[in-house]
Amino acid sequence: MLARLLWLALLSTLVLSSGSTAKAKAPDPTKPPGDAKELAAAIDRHIAHRWTETGTEPAPLADDSEFLRRVYLDLAGRIPSVEEARTFLADRRSDKRARLVEELLGSSRYIAHFTTVWRMLLLPEAGNNFQVRLQQPSFEAWLKQMIVRNAGYDEIARELVTMPLNKGTELDIFLGAGSPTPLAFYAAKEFKPENLAASTARVFLGINVECAQCHNHPFAEWKREQFWGYAAFFAGIKSRRTQDLLLPDKEVQDKRELVIPGTERVAQARFLDGAEPVWKSKSTNRVTLADWMTGANNPYFARAAVNRLWAYFFGTGLVDPVDEMVGGDHRPSHPELLDVLAHEFAAHRFDIKFLIRAITASRPYQLTSASTHPNDAPARELFARMPLRGLTAEQIFDSMAIATGYRDSGGGDDLLSNIFGGQRSARSEFLTRFANQPERATEAQTSILQSLSLMNGKVVAAATSLEKSETLSAIVESPFVSTEDRIETLYLATLSRKPDAKEMSRSVKFIRDAGKRGKGSDKEALADVFWALLNSPEFIVNH
Amino acid sequence: MSRPSVRLSRRDWLKLSTAGVIGYSMSGWLENLANAASPERKRSCILLWMNGGPSQMDTFDLKPGQANGGPYKEIATSVPGIKISEHLPKIAKHMNDMVLVRSMRTKEADHGRATYQMRTGYLPGGPVHYPTLGSLLSKELEMPGAELPSFVSIAPYRFFSPAAYNPGFLGPRYAPLVVGENQQSLIAIPGRQSNYEDGLKVQDIARPEGVSAEREAARIGLLREMQDDFLQTRSALPSESQRSAYQRAVTLMHSRATKAFDLDEEPKQLRDAYGRNLFGQGCLLARRLVEQGVPFVEVTLSNVENLTLGWDTHISNFESVKKLSQVLDPAWATLMSDLKQRGLLESTLIVWMGEFGRTPKINDNRGRDHWANSWTTVLAGGGIKGGQVVGKTSADGMEVTDRPISTQDFLATIAVALGIDIKKQNRSNVGRPIRIADPAAKPIQEVLA
Repeated sequence: MLARLLWLALLSTLVLSSGSTAKAKAPDPTKPPGDAKELAAAIDRHIAHRWTETGTEPAPLADDSEFLRRVYLDLAGRIPSVEEARTFLADRRSDKRARLVEELLGSSRYIAHFTTVWRMLLLPEAGNNFQVRLQQPSFEAWLKQMIVRNAGYDEIARELVTMPLNKGTELDIFLGAGSPTPLAFYAAKEFKPENLAASTARVFLGINVECAQCHNHPFAEWKREQFWGYAAFFAGIKSRRTQDLLLPDKEVQDKRELVIPGTERVAQARFLDGAEPVWKSKSTNRVTLADWMTGANNPYFARAAVNRLWAYFFGTGLVDPVDEMVGGDHRPSHPELLDVLAHEFAAHRFDIKFLIRAITASRPYQLTSASTHPNDAPARELFARMPLRGLTAEQIFDSMAIATGYRDSGGGDDLLSNIFGGQRSARSEFLTRFANQPERATEAQTSILQSLSLMNGKVVAAATSLEKSETLSAIVESPFVSTEDRIETLYLATLSRKPDAKEMSRSVKFIRDAGKRGKGSDKEALADVFWALLNSPEFIVNH
Repeated sequence: MSRPSVRLSRRDWLKLSTAGVIGYSMSGWLENLANAASPERKRSCILLWMNGGPSQMDTFDLKPGQANGGPYKEIATSVPGIKISEHLPKIAKHMNDMVLVRSMRTKEADHGRATYQMRTGYLPGGPVHYPTLGSLLSKELEMPGAELPSFVSIAPYRFFSPAAYNPGFLGPRYAPLVVGENQQSLIAIPGRQSNYEDGLKVQDIARPEGVSAEREAARIGLLREMQDDFLQTRSALPSESQRSAYQRAVTLMHSRATKAFDLDEEPKQLRDAYGRNLFGQGCLLARRLVEQGVPFVEVTLSNVENLTLGWDTHISNFESVKKLSQVLDPAWATLMSDLKQRGLLESTLIVWMGEFGRTPKINDNRGRDHWANSWTTVLAGGGIKGGQVVGKTSADGMEVTDRPISTQDFLATIAVALGIDIKKQNRSNVGRPIRIADPAAKPIQEVLA
């Protein structure tokens, strides 16, 4: 334990004494890795240190219900069922939170959810490109395979960057829909070196070099030569266009230079930190690039990965925005912590689950999102309170489905339905209605159409109808159950918690008042309580 | 350990400035504020979106007698010297209120990318989520306290590029109210009748079957209490915007302004004149919405009954364009005269465009393929000087020979015609502020009134 503290202190002084934070340090491979619990403790120490420094009082810890719902949404992409909630809340073991995390990490829900999470990061073009949408299922199949075997983040990046590109045909794409390949990534960037460069730099290195494509970056250090030198790694990629699709052609190996557009200068392939590549005869351009990117000496890769995952769980990265970690004005809020996280992540072979275990076990992740004073809002970068985060369309629908027992009655989600029209599945329509999530989950907003859809739409109407909803009628009709118990079940189903005294008495009064309206109205009133809960902000927000 | 710097970055400064926190800015927003307070009626825009890429050589820029001219004849319009397709006789009579931009020269000939580019002004693929034209412009034109949303999209076909219909970094507040989308997707299916009567209503505006008005009021009351409780301890953008969106939604549900969607209020002859089809009735709805003060309405014409490809005429170009013209012509012409009769044409700008044009060269299937090198868009109505042609194409239609116009030039022209300051900035999702029109955009001065 003491050795660990000394090691961390040593690392901190090393970083402090290195002066400007503009040049990042590579993780030190000679230090032994700790385990997830130790990393969680390190997170706690670094975050608490700044609280002390700034005189900030952190929010209290979240209660079991709050933690339960949060961790289910973050790891499984949906809220817990009533059963799952009851089981967790009744569990008396002191380590139940960590156990829950393990359970979720081992579930198929984790795989499905994180396939979506990484796909949204790597393939944002699906929203505006029909070919990409065609190829999205194959891309997800590939991602899923990687996540199923918990491939390291470096493996995922490597497979993506070094994917062999050969001559493709339209049939490959139309018939091969669903067979795993990350080809969609390349199609989305139109097989162009400059697009692949900008995208891989942003996603994997946290470096936004886009402006530098055309001129020297106004805010940051990047120069045009650097950009095109990096793009030159992709110089050999070729493609051809048919009437409807963009297809790969066989890559020209060993093409390592690009003419900078609008000039006569030629940029040779060069890494973004200025280092010159050492070309080995057996390694192609992109393999050389992937080696550098995921290698022990790369100062950006681990930091960018860790920062993104931090931003996923906390709504804000340790460097914000997550795409601009180097150069410009953006200093890390906790530089030593970022270094520690990056080092440990690399030392654990970029094991995503390891990092998730550490973050979810840390104190900042377990703080409540409730504030005691309305004007009391500590700076986000202090992580002194969990912020509110919006949900993705998939999370909303899947949570709605589990809360209400909704089953899709039919309709096509498939490509043909999309192109030629016709009935789409309710999930598909819902996802379209609720698409357009912002860059930051903390800035999610609701639109009027979304509100109307949740208040009056088919899905919620069926789910809150006594005739159509099995789940609801089970809650309402089961004999020998008190009104209070029914209300409690409705709250557990939607908000994963029990109602407090004020809420309980308000709900009971609501049902009694309705009962005066006539026979059967008290049952309708229960359905209406269910309706109100599904439409409440607490349901639609991750807190 | 060092403290964080409190010096504002240049970007933070711009953020605070455009939010009105700092007392002055570089964009002249003080002057804009003064204009907004003026009692003059703000302009409206109706975008007629021709999804699929309509053929310019068979609509507004014919080359009769040329090798690739095709079988259509030219007809005279109400402006001597300007001739258009014989299948657009009604709209020809309104040429004195129209401007033909025959020299569009853009580079994208892919449906998805071109749709995104023509509707946002930018190419897709970067980290910035650009707003669609309707969101961008309606934000500048909206009147405070209006009950109807300020951007309505009638029967869109979003498949090529869903992101091209999004409010992007402006947020869901500026998302379009969409009606008739299912109807649009049903048209293409052979044998299916699209029901435009019910299809053009706002979905989910009515409470569900089996729920009485009393119940609805009671449960909305309960919901309000839950919202207020939650916001006591969790006040942040996601929760605040939820409460505010619900308030506006409930207002809309009970608002008489939604009667604008009841087309049965219109006389039968007028509905016939627009054309008893999705696009025709959509144009009628657009007129009603503009009358109610909605500043931006778009109506999509993608296809008509029993055609497979709509405007995307890779096959049988001439038969298809004729059928589409026969729907387009009466709808647009009636819209123009209808607006004129009500004194609304002067304050309503109509924009006609697709994502690109079509090849002058006719392919082996008697079709024309995608073409962005030399094509046509049209402006009509208020804010412009009608009766002119901008630019020229070569005799064979392959090149722009005079006055090439880019996407940004065209969209900037629209904004200026609507009285909007194109230098005004919005904060994007990557923090960088972005002007309404790109600094390099050159509005077409000769058409601006």
